[in-house]
Amino acid sequence: MKKLALISIPLVLILLGLTSYLNLAVAPTEATMGDVQRIFYYHVASGWVGMFCFFVNFVASIWYLWKRSPQSDALAAASAEVGVVFCAMLLLLGTLWARPVWGIWWTWDARLTTTLVLWLIYVSYLILRRFSTSGQTQVLAAAFAVFGFADVPIVYMSIRWFRTQHPSPVIGGGPDSGLAPAIMQTLLINVAAFTLLGLVYIWLSYKLQREEQALEAAHAQAALRGAA
Amino acid sequence: MNSIIFLRTAYIISWVVYAGYLGRLLLRMRLVEAERKEMEQSK
Repeated sequence: MKKLALISIPLVLILLGLTSYLNLAVAPTEATMGDVQRIFYYHVASGWVGMFCFFVNFVASIWYLWKRSPQSDALAAASAEVGVVFCAMLLLLGTLWARPVWGIWWTWDARLTTTLVLWLIYVSYLILRRFSTSGQTQVLAAAFAVFGFADVPIVYMSIRWFRTQHPSPVIGGGPDSGLAPAIMQTLLINVAAFTLLGLVYIWLSYKLQREEQALEAAHAQAALRGAA
Repeated sequence: MNSIIFLRTAYIISWVVYAGYLGRLLLRMRLVEAERKEMEQSK
């Protein structure tokens, strides 16, 4: 536990400090939006990590349904929890950017709505895991996660399929899309740093899930001994 | 309203949430470990 804290605390602080410094002091000011555009770096990086976590959850859930391994169940739970945190930040940072740029906090366009639905799906997943008293909770959660992941490609494609208030894709969005090289470089560093941040959280949350599984098994054994 | 307020708020919230989440994970881990040790000792 002490070793985990000694590694993770400085690593997280360095990653947040480095990206904040780059975004606020080094990256150029965007011509149209001004300084508020600097929210974009954390917004996009949080979104990327959120989707990555839900993908890990999807793969781990399929693996659990196939093999019934407690490790894959722990990984599914860990990645969903981390994904919910990053997806919440994606939504929150989006509203903080939207208010000064659009003049509104929120609009029910396809991108925002599907992202909110995605967040609610994984919040429901965590609630199901936490409060279900069924002996089949892990199986139910894994099946739920497999169907829940269907919203991820819909979120990704929403700005391509529908006309939205949300900006068009800046990466892979066709010949008119793209970013200034300095902004793109800052974004890529943020995405890399946040990926590492997400992996640290998944690793810690996985360890915690495994500890909780061991504790649950110990409680069950103690209950059996008491009943015998 | 000055857009700098939104920028500051966004970065402060990011720090609070991401650092706070790390703290919460480590705290939960410490509690689970303590409970497990307690169970082992009571065997």
